[in-house]
Amino acid sequence: MKRRDFVRITAAGAAALSPLAPRLLRSPQRMADWLLVPMDDAQSDHLKAYGVCYRALQRGVKAEWLLNYRSGSFLLPMESAAQRDAALAGVSLETIDDARASSIRGEIQDGNMDAIPLEKAPKVAVYAPPNAAPWDDAVTMALDYAGIKYDKVWDAEVMGQQLKKWDWLHLHHEDFTGQYSKFYLSYAGAPWLADMVQQNTAMAHTLGFPNVPAEKRAVAQTIAKFVEGGGFLFAMCAATETLDLALASEGVDIAAAYADGTPMDPDASRKMHWDQALAFHDARLETSPTTSVYSDIDGHQVNSGDRRQPLGSFTLFNFSAKIDPVATMLVQSHRDVIPDFYGLTTSFTRHTLKSSDTVLADEHGAPWVKYIHGERGQGTWTFFGGHDPEDPQHQIGDAPTDLSLHPHSPGYRLILNNVLFPAARKKELKT
Amino acid sequence: MSAVRPIRSALVFAAGMLAWLASAAPLRAQQDPMNRAFDLERRGEYAAAVDAYRAILAAKPADATAILGLERSLIPLNRPADIMPQIRAALDAGTRSPAIFGAALRAYGAAGQPDSLRKVAARWAQAEPAEEGPYREWGAALAARHDFGGAKAALLEGRARLGRPDALAAELAQLAVASGDYSSALHEWALALRRLPGYRITAVAQLAQAPERERPELLAQIDRETDPSARRLSADLRARWGDPLRAYRDLVAALPPERGQQVDVLRQFLDVLRTLNSADSRQAQAMTLEALAERATGPQAARYRLDAAQAWSDAGKPEEARRVLAALASDKGTPPQLASGASLTLIGVLIDEGKTDEADRQLRALQGTVSADDYAALRRRLLQGWIRAGNLARADSALAGDSTVDGLALAGRVALFRGDLAGARRRFEAAGPYAGNRDDATERTALIALIQPITAESLPALGDALLALERGDSAAAAQGLDQVAGTLKPGEGGAELRLLAGRIARARGNTALAERQLRAADAADAPATAPAAELELARLLAATGRSGDASQTLEHLILTYPQSALVPQARHELDLIRGGVPRT
Repeated sequence: MKRRDFVRITAAGAAALSPLAPRLLRSPQRMADWLLVPMDDAQSDHLKAYGVCYRALQRGVKAEWLLNYRSGSFLLPMESAAQRDAALAGVSLETIDDARASSIRGEIQDGNMDAIPLEKAPKVAVYAPPNAAPWDDAVTMALDYAGIKYDKVWDAEVMGQQLKKWDWLHLHHEDFTGQYSKFYLSYAGAPWLADMVQQNTAMAHTLGFPNVPAEKRAVAQTIAKFVEGGGFLFAMCAATETLDLALASEGVDIAAAYADGTPMDPDASRKMHWDQALAFHDARLETSPTTSVYSDIDGHQVNSGDRRQPLGSFTLFNFSAKIDPVATMLVQSHRDVIPDFYGLTTSFTRHTLKSSDTVLADEHGAPWVKYIHGERGQGTWTFFGGHDPEDPQHQIGDAPTDLSLHPHSPGYRLILNNVLFPAARKKELKT
Repeated sequence: MSAVRPIRSALVFAAGMLAWLASAAPLRAQQDPMNRAFDLERRGEYAAAVDAYRAILAAKPADATAILGLERSLIPLNRPADIMPQIRAALDAGTRSPAIFGAALRAYGAAGQPDSLRKVAARWAQAEPAEEGPYREWGAALAARHDFGGAKAALLEGRARLGRPDALAAELAQLAVASGDYSSALHEWALALRRLPGYRITAVAQLAQAPERERPELLAQIDRETDPSARRLSADLRARWGDPLRAYRDLVAALPPERGQQVDVLRQFLDVLRTLNSADSRQAQAMTLEALAERATGPQAARYRLDAAQAWSDAGKPEEARRVLAALASDKGTPPQLASGASLTLIGVLIDEGKTDEADRQLRALQGTVSADDYAALRRRLLQGWIRAGNLARADSALAGDSTVDGLALAGRVALFRGDLAGARRRFEAAGPYAGNRDDATERTALIALIQPITAESLPALGDALLALERGDSAAAAQGLDQVAGTLKPGEGGAELRLLAGRIARARGNTALAERQLRAADAADAPATAPAAELELARLLAATGRSGDASQTLEHLILTYPQSALVPQARHELDLIRGGVPRT
């Protein structure tokens, strides 16, 4: 029903819906009335372009996201602050007049494209422990590089019911099963692991939980409520898989003895409550406490030795912009095929996906997908497998990725699509 | 990890056999099942090879060659676990083959069956009670699954059963390193090196990664060991951790009594020093080379001394280099080729020390005995020595009639230091980009850019300031440049000179003067210089904690001079200040 409404409204005249429409009608002779931020190969810094648009929204500017038009370009009203910002960031802008804007709009009307109004810069929060390495999270790196401000939250803020302050929450390689990425045995003695254990144990006790797995499950449930209440959740790497495992494991011991004092229930896979999970169902859990693998949700099993699968490349799906604007927003890119990259959770096996999931990208012929999206209550979640799109083999202790060397990274663009996606007018976010 | 080395060797040997058999008897491959299996594997037909190996094993379950072939063929098919039935059959057949036990441990390890692993290791140990192999492979199978705790327990059990306190020490050391326990790793490596000195390079490479805060305690720990192998390990680690001179002294004090062993120890220490890049490490290299020369004879000793002289020179100890070279050049026993090499090195040292007259005398004496290229290179170096000494007349007369590009480039510098700007410009342009190396060409371009906007044909005060800079007197150079810049309009060279003066002041740590000069260089009527001055100024401001001012300056640069080639650098600096990219 919602999707039909959307199609009807857009078919009735996208131009009339646009917050920019009055300008189009007003002064047809004026030159340079608009700033087009091209997102095809004419763009000199794709990643910073998102920052320019985000800051324009912060200034109260009403923008449009031209889905599938020149790889997902943005249209801003002429504004000297945006011009200055783009010049400083090295972002390409094209100044166009009303006639050209009308012509673009006509082109959009005729093709598999759409113009989505962007109204408000979303408030962004990144879930990370206080001492997390600033360069060990692809989203943090993308936000810093694009110049998009964000707040850091962790368990105290989540459990203190403060998530409502933010529109968009990002999770990265957190282990919501409370097993320290299952590195507890293999990296025993490593100082960073000792810090992680100490910090998580102290937080669990502070919040009144008997152990870390119990506390992390409660955190996962609070995050799920944030989504149900209308929040936007974007997760990468192990946070995707472990969030769902934590949500589905109410009353089931899925944690190794080192984490909660009791061994994992050998029959845990059968006892899981998959109706509580956001994205996955019927997964088989890894029972070995020494293998840094959680379940068969991940297709690549990077730390499993002989089960590890080689990297290929994934292909973005092409959606109907006018019928599926949300999915279309999330896959805007100047490249359709993107080299894959490992993470603790690299991909999602097809057989563990719920039927309600929307697959945004997959590897053709492989039993796994890379990028998925779905709804829960009033909100949405998006899961993107892998750790760092420009560091495919990422290892603990690797040098940080310098995004000024990858300003056109299509993998990082997908992350930034997610950041800007909540800026779209609420009407457009319901399909 | 090295624990898998014996089995890897077996696999490599088998692969070698495979290649030999394949090349030797293609016809026979049609008849003999094993040859046929090898042939299929060699051709990459792994699925068929698997079938062939299985057919052999059906008849002979304990055929080690077939088990290893099956294991190899299943790996590229990504079906390593499929070997399990054949492994069980081989074990049921009562095999005593280490190769089959090894394959069994790898299979059970990959399958995550620790109890079976233990049973196979016990059977193997029963068959070979004095061997480390069973425990090494057992540990390796567990370590491959990141079960370092289990691997350590397996190795310690092996040590206890073998009854040797140093058994499996290298494997335990590597496990300790993987767990970040460098103290245990050091203890185990010290044990391992007593029996297997060949592990020293691996031990040093692994232990050298220890965090800086743990190093003093680790050195104290190793210094408590009296064994010669521990002394050598201590010296290698101390050298890598920044104290190569103490390392050298400790090493020499603990050299073994036999001369040949001493040479081996010193050579290996020299290999470590050559990977380092500090004045102390070069000095330690020089001392080690001299120590080697004392233990060598004839041409070899002379070569060590020549290398030692070069190392002394590189370490900034010209008097020591001269001592060694003088002895070498005057020694009648030195082979002629090495003697002339010593003389060339000695002349270079003399020039660097400023003893240009003596260098000139020695160079003339060598004319005709060394190659023309070597002679010309030293001649140019001598000219630079005269220039640095301020003896421009001598340099000028030596350059008379030299029309090579290198000669023109040097003549341009002499003209510049005399203040003859027109002459310098003309000669630099004539020399083009081909004189000297890339750094020389870049420096010439910078000099041309410096004097280009100056309309005066001659400016001796500028020549004096630049000569002072050439001679390393940066204070006089900065003062001179400031004075000359005061006489020129910004757009006619004044801004360029102030930019240079600002850079010199910053390099000297005088940030207030540097800021004043750079702000003066940032003049609207010098648009070619202003972006560079602003970039330099922003870097200075950022380095002194004024990030806000630095950002403002960079933003001004980017917005005011959008066509400048420095804009990408300015954006990167801005990213660094704002934390948009990591400081790597």
